[in-house]
Amino acid sequence: MQNLISNFNYVIVVILMMIGLWSMLAQKNLIKKCIGMAIFQTGIILFFISIGAKDNALIPILTEAANHTYHDPDVAKVANPLTQILMLTAIVVGVATLGVGLALAQKIYQQHSSFDEDEILENQRK
Amino acid sequence: MTEQLPIVIILGPLLGAVLAAFTAWFRPKLSHPLVVVGLGISFAAALKLVFIVADSGAQKYWLGGWGTKQGHGVVGIQITVDHLNTLLLAAVSGIALLTAQYTKRLVDAELAGRQRYFYALFSLLVTGLLGITITGDIFNLYVFMEIAALSSYALIAYGRGRAYMASFNYLIMGTMGACLYLLGVGFVFAKAGTLNIDDVSAIIPELGQSQALFVGFVLILLGAWAKMAFFPFHGWLPNAYAYAPTASTALLAPLATKVSVYAMLRIMVTVYSIDYIIHSPATQSLVLYLSSLAIVAASFFSLTQTNLKKLAAYFVLSEIGYMVGGAWLANKPGLTGAMVHVVADAAMTSALFMAIGCIVYRLGQAQLDDLKGVFFKMPVTMAAFVVTMAALIGVPPTCGFFSKWYLIQGAAQAGVWHFVAALLLSSLVKAIILFRIIEIGYNRVPHPAIEGNPAIPRNEAPLSMLIPTVAMALGLIALGLGTSTLVNTIISKALPAALTP
Amino acid sequence: MSTLPIWQFDALLLIMVVLFAVVALSIRNLMGAAIVFGAYSFMMCLIWAGMGAVDVAFTEAAVGAGVSTVFVMSTLYNTGATMHRRTGGLAFKLFIGVVVTVAGVFLLSALPDLPAWGDPDSPVNAAVAPYYITHTIADAHVPNVVTSVLADYRGFDTLLETTVVFIACIAIYSILRVDKAKLETDEPAVVAAPRYDPGDSLIVRQASRFMVPFMQLFALYVIAHGHYSPGGGFQGGVILGASLILLAISFDLKFLLRQWSEKTLMMLVASGVFLYAAVGLACVFMGGNYLDYGELNSILPGERDMARSHGILLVEIGVGITVMFSMIAIHINLASNGRFDRGL
Repeated sequence: MQNLISNFNYVIVVILMMIGLWSMLAQKNLIKKCIGMAIFQTGIILFFISIGAKDNALIPILTEAANHTYHDPDVAKVANPLTQILMLTAIVVGVATLGVGLALAQKIYQQHSSFDEDEILENQRK
Repeated sequence: MTEQLPIVIILGPLLGAVLAAFTAWFRPKLSHPLVVVGLGISFAAALKLVFIVADSGAQKYWLGGWGTKQGHGVVGIQITVDHLNTLLLAAVSGIALLTAQYTKRLVDAELAGRQRYFYALFSLLVTGLLGITITGDIFNLYVFMEIAALSSYALIAYGRGRAYMASFNYLIMGTMGACLYLLGVGFVFAKAGTLNIDDVSAIIPELGQSQALFVGFVLILLGAWAKMAFFPFHGWLPNAYAYAPTASTALLAPLATKVSVYAMLRIMVTVYSIDYIIHSPATQSLVLYLSSLAIVAASFFSLTQTNLKKLAAYFVLSEIGYMVGGAWLANKPGLTGAMVHVVADAAMTSALFMAIGCIVYRLGQAQLDDLKGVFFKMPVTMAAFVVTMAALIGVPPTCGFFSKWYLIQGAAQAGVWHFVAALLLSSLVKAIILFRIIEIGYNRVPHPAIEGNPAIPRNEAPLSMLIPTVAMALGLIALGLGTSTLVNTIISKALPAALTP
Repeated sequence: MSTLPIWQFDALLLIMVVLFAVVALSIRNLMGAAIVFGAYSFMMCLIWAGMGAVDVAFTEAAVGAGVSTVFVMSTLYNTGATMHRRTGGLAFKLFIGVVVTVAGVFLLSALPDLPAWGDPDSPVNAAVAPYYITHTIADAHVPNVVTSVLADYRGFDTLLETTVVFIACIAIYSILRVDKAKLETDEPAVVAAPRYDPGDSLIVRQASRFMVPFMQLFALYVIAHGHYSPGGGFQGGVILGASLILLAISFDLKFLLRQWSEKTLMMLVASGVFLYAAVGLACVFMGGNYLDYGELNSILPGERDMARSHGILLVEIGVGITVMFSMIAIHINLASNGRFDRGL
């Protein structure tokens, strides 16, 4: 059961990333491409968080310190903060890219009245 | 003070960009000078560091003062200036500085009324590229990569019309590349536990044959390839560079793809070490076939182009093939050739696009067939153009000859004859195209010096654009003459010691 | 065992996330896709919170589920496109499907080599990370380890991340912004968005008017208290931005632009990044390396560790300023198609 659960997490992560990647490359609608991009990125974030997870660990806020009853923390019981920082950065970069992608899509729609790549290419050839 | 120089390289363009964006709202004329000053400071620091590194070796800088802590490795973020990247840092900041001055007229002409943030984005792109080159932390590289990428999407979109779709396609491919890179970093991180390049390179040999590390390596490679438009991820480049305004392409074309090649080199040479490459001969020969294919396909397509900008974009694609193939030959001349070519190609592409920019500025468009008489209208520009094409073909004493010489030597040594054939073929194609341009620009109109022929008015590009173009073209020759000095003092020291000669 | 108390819950969330992703990508109604995407982000949030990544979950809830969904909806609302037609090209889609499957199998091949899920002694958990956990109080006096790593140990990454938000803001501005005076000659008029009638939403307007000050107070708390509780510059900045976006949506875009002019917004976006970079530069002038806040103890009260704590607060404020005004500016640009006249 333990093995199944630990592998299940990674398998779901890979499936999620591949769904996002497929959508980015194969779908013709510009908005769907953007959403696929966001799904791919969140899948990667889930992967990072998974590799930094610890069994039965608490959140990385040393509350005893806040209450001035501080003693050396048991590292195995505190969740890994490093992967979390990296993923905070990744989320923000992701939304920034999504914003720029949407702005470009809107401008393209303004020109061609369509979000569909095939229609746009046809329009451009005219 | 000199120990702060590495961070000055990054801070110059970053602060220049932020101040330019701030003052753009009440003193728009200050944007250009602020950016030029920022780039100038950066170039001065990078140049000084070239000499420092040549004398005393690699310079390491820890941000926040967080260096190595006992038993944990480096706990902060490190930036390193060593033999591998010091020349590229000077080249990127120098070319950016020259291009910033060069593009002023183009921006005023092509982007009238819309240029509020152009120079801020320009400077931010340079910040991203310099950051990729200087960083010593694999996750930090991802963030810098995205800084460069977002700025370039906006710079391309300034072209309007077809540039929006081109920029969107670039966004999708570029983000895919960055995400693959990040995923690869995840696998490496999962096995190594640290993100610092020096620490990871020490840990990887101890881990031996590891599937996760191999997957990480392939993903990072694919990410870098998507960013540098290596076959089969090249689809976005010709459209993006052709429809972007000439001012943007003058900065993007020479620098963006070369820095991604450097990132690949850094991962191959420092993080994973050349032994890793040598021990996977199947991957090596696959990549070499892809490189040759990239070179041949790009050369073939360049023959069919009628637009000068698209033509130049296909040249860029073939040059990428040179560098990737040279690096994957994994022997001394091959790697030396790849490293020399990164700097040489940046200079050659910059000169090429500057010359094209001058032509576009004066003639208003860039179709090959409309270049009739251009050798008489713009003699100085075309002289620079011919020198640049000669460098691309590989004529001594330009820098293009020396880098090609190393590459051919390396390929012959490794017995990879298809690569040699591809290199020679692409030189031949470039020569054909040069002669075609000479024929159109020189011969299709009656020669004015011959009696009775009508005079063709000279309409040379403005001095602010002409001087950087000529300087860059002369620089190609100077770089060529100085290649052996550079190789002996700096590049040979960047090669790993355990490499077959 | 999973870190969640009931492993079935974890498994259920993971399955639902995949389902939502598939639905978001296959549904034909684009507005519906945006909503389902928002739901997907919230599910991800829960999974991450369950794994102990509360700061990440907070950021995803604010940025991913909140702001991203609003951006997609503003884009769609403005263009009036709702359905995407079923196109052909089945062969290409199948080809990409095969490529993606091969890639997925390749990724899974590394599975046996990866450390066991949740192992506290894996390289990731045992190499550099323990230093942060054991030394955060001694070095910076900040109990939230994530904040101290984000703003101090890896503060350079956060400066660059803030720059990324700044770049997105000016990039979107450069792409979309059009001057009304040049409207007729430049590009074809946008498809007319449905007319917004402010007369019949008294409840919405008064309710949002009531909510905004509380949102802003909470956001300021999140920024300031990021040292002790989940939070920090990004989350607080996004909530501040959201409070003003709420005003723009419930009243009118012009209402917001009367309070905060375009010029103020864009100048303040740049000032946040400048504050962060300037704090780092001040450290250099005090004799240390860039972003070495400990050097600021000569001008800030307290010893080196308290100086670090104050330095972290200063940069978090810089981050909050940039993120707040970026989100607002991006929303205005997307919602009004760059015209700054009317929008959602």
